[in-house]
Amino acid sequence: MTDQPLALEMLNIVKTFPGVRALDDVSFGCARGEVHALCGENGAGKSTLIKVLGGIYPPDAGRIRLDGRDVSFSHPVAARRAGISIIHQELSLLPYRTVAENIYLGLEPSRFGALDRRKMRTDSARLLDRLGSAIAPDVAAGDLSIAHQQIVEIAKALALDAKILVMDEPTAALDGADASRLLDLVRRLSRQGVTIVYISHHLSEIQAVADRVTVLKDGRTVLTAPLAEAPTGRLVRAMVGRDLSDFYPPRSTVAPGSPTLVIRGGTNGRLRGVDLAVRAGEIVGVAGLEGSGKSALGRAIAGDEPFESGTMEIAGKVVAFSNPRSALEAGLGRVAEDRKRESLLMQQSVRDNAALSQRAFANLLRSPNAAPMSTAATDERLKQVDVRAANFDQEIRQLSGGNQQRVIIARLLALDPQVLVFSEPTRGVDVAAKAAIYRIMRDLAGRGRGILMISSDLPEIVGVSDRIVVMREGGVAGELPGGAGEEDVMALAVGHDDRAPQMRAQ
Amino acid sequence: MSDAGALPSPSVGRFGLAAPLLLFVGSVALYVGVALWTGQTKMLEAEGVVGLLQRMVALGIVAIGQTFAILAGSIDLSVANLISVGAVLASYVMQGRPEMMLPAVALVIIVSAAVGVLNGALIAWLQVNAFIATLGVGLILQGLLSASFTNFAGSVPKEFQALAYGGWGGAPFSVIGLFVLAALASVVLGATKFGAHLYAVGGNVEGARLAGIRTDFVTIGAHVACSLTAGVTGLYLASRLRSGAPWVGRDGVYDLESIAVVVIGGTLLAGGRGGVWGTLAGVLLFASLDAAFNMLGVSAYPKLVLRGAIVVAAVAVYAVRSRDLVA
Repeated sequence: MTDQPLALEMLNIVKTFPGVRALDDVSFGCARGEVHALCGENGAGKSTLIKVLGGIYPPDAGRIRLDGRDVSFSHPVAARRAGISIIHQELSLLPYRTVAENIYLGLEPSRFGALDRRKMRTDSARLLDRLGSAIAPDVAAGDLSIAHQQIVEIAKALALDAKILVMDEPTAALDGADASRLLDLVRRLSRQGVTIVYISHHLSEIQAVADRVTVLKDGRTVLTAPLAEAPTGRLVRAMVGRDLSDFYPPRSTVAPGSPTLVIRGGTNGRLRGVDLAVRAGEIVGVAGLEGSGKSALGRAIAGDEPFESGTMEIAGKVVAFSNPRSALEAGLGRVAEDRKRESLLMQQSVRDNAALSQRAFANLLRSPNAAPMSTAATDERLKQVDVRAANFDQEIRQLSGGNQQRVIIARLLALDPQVLVFSEPTRGVDVAAKAAIYRIMRDLAGRGRGILMISSDLPEIVGVSDRIVVMREGGVAGELPGGAGEEDVMALAVGHDDRAPQMRAQ
Repeated sequence: MSDAGALPSPSVGRFGLAAPLLLFVGSVALYVGVALWTGQTKMLEAEGVVGLLQRMVALGIVAIGQTFAILAGSIDLSVANLISVGAVLASYVMQGRPEMMLPAVALVIIVSAAVGVLNGALIAWLQVNAFIATLGVGLILQGLLSASFTNFAGSVPKEFQALAYGGWGGAPFSVIGLFVLAALASVVLGATKFGAHLYAVGGNVEGARLAGIRTDFVTIGAHVACSLTAGVTGLYLASRLRSGAPWVGRDGVYDLESIAVVVIGGTLLAGGRGGVWGTLAGVLLFASLDAAFNMLGVSAYPKLVLRGAIVVAAVAVYAVRSRDLVA
């Protein structure tokens, strides 16, 4: 092993973005034919590391070596030519082009200037055959199921004789059976000598397929070990291991009141049979991995992508929302996940942004600055949530993320909702603003509102929630009391139900 | 890894010829039906049919180019003005002298290609929205042209008029040329790397870039192709009108009509899917409509209403169909 150079080495990689050290002296290596799992929480630096490897970001410092030779990539194509192929999480196939055309995109073989379609077809068929698949090279990629599209992506990655294949959450969009077939495929490729970097949140997959595993956390390597030495419990602790700082507000000491939001059997395209209750005065945290359905849950409750079956009650009254307006009308407000895309009118003033929902419900003939929307009333609400702006006429795009988030909260408070859904309330917000947003939520709960906080940020789920609902594969995987550990949440989220024996095994 | 679930088999019809064929049949039925109904059976003889095909030439040529621009995810609003430039330039340089034909044609080709490079570079390199870039370039061209010429400028020699009026055994050169050009374009789109990359850029520009395609060159190439067809249309109009005037392109509404027939032909306005045969079928539909209204002796305005309705209906049908297709 020592006399043979590693297929891939990344040594002391550093990458900083304005204000963030995304990768801090990360080293990482794989032998030929190895399946090396890369894991870590959201924001741990996995994607950045992969983008450095794929030539999308140049590293600030550090070296990349392939088979013992130093390489540097100025462009994604250079990395691809060197034998590194990345399958990104979002599929990038052209739906109207055939499978063969997609596989050879940018690499089309030609004879005398004309496309050599026969060669494309036969070579594609051979590649697909190597993957054990009988997909016809002539079908339009858009006609294939997601699982089959994933296979075409892999064939595309292998078309240029990839030696190193990076798969970023390849099973994210697949169901159980398709996912296990994909894992078989990964093993098959590694037997063929392809080195595979396998990124996944799903610890069960990692246990099933990886030879070694590296855990990243806050841009550093915290663990690299053969799988045998890294049981799930150790992986989870490596991924999470950090102390809760005391910037979470104290939990309420008063027992929560009657249920204010109740969902029974909530089901739609992304959700199945969700049962959930939020009582007045309570903050319920919803955790789950990407694709677990927790984002869809927020949209469903707020009528954005409504439930198709099941029932929902607000303050004991059965409701059914067909759009966000009807939800707001019934007293349910939601802080959406993507501020810029879903909430803010970037070129308009802070005040106009804050008055938006109120104006939406005002009589059409009314002045937009009449009584409840008056400048004074709006300013009062903005001050309540402590929006810091030079003045409220300022365009909202000039405010920090934390202040923008407060404006959105002020917008909702104007309608005095009984239930508030916060989707990723502190995404892209600095630490001080995070603490302030937690205080606002706690304060609202204290005044009898029901709060549902959907978040990918585990520490905040654990630190803020009175109760934690964990989602997996579109349903509720389980519920934990406030104060449960991040490990417990993670174990439910990754579906590691037989955790207990593993823990004993250490 | 074994395959789960049923694998679809190749279906050419769905993405290939279905729409063009339907349009073609509909257009022919319309033309024949109106001819029979109005008793103008002479329109069904060779002369009438050739007349119908000749109606297709000017719009057809430029629409083939517009197909390239739209397939690449772009659009070209400068074609009408460039057509005027081509027509005026040709007739002004020729001044009725046959020996100036070659230099005039060469000049028009060079100017058109340059405009295409300019359009493409504005879009690919300066990241100007295609709509705005080509609108601006079109206005500039029209301004320069109208400042220099007010009416018909120069004339084309008889030899050059053969382009519009000559033919082989009853088939006009212009009609033959249109179909040769369409066949050529179809080969470029279907059987060359450039064609494959054009579809890729229109379908997913970021995916194409990560696959190693020089997307900027593809965009520029598509615009050069588009502008060249506009230049050729200008030459054809100069030949047919025996001279060129700075308003021939604008009067033909070639910018909006070329876009309309492209989308009627099934090419996605967003790019990445479609082809020239659909476009040509769209042109045939417009030509049949014109001919039918002429036979019926109806004024031009109801024709506009019908054209507008057809464009909207076609796009609506495609939108609904594609929603069913790609779930």
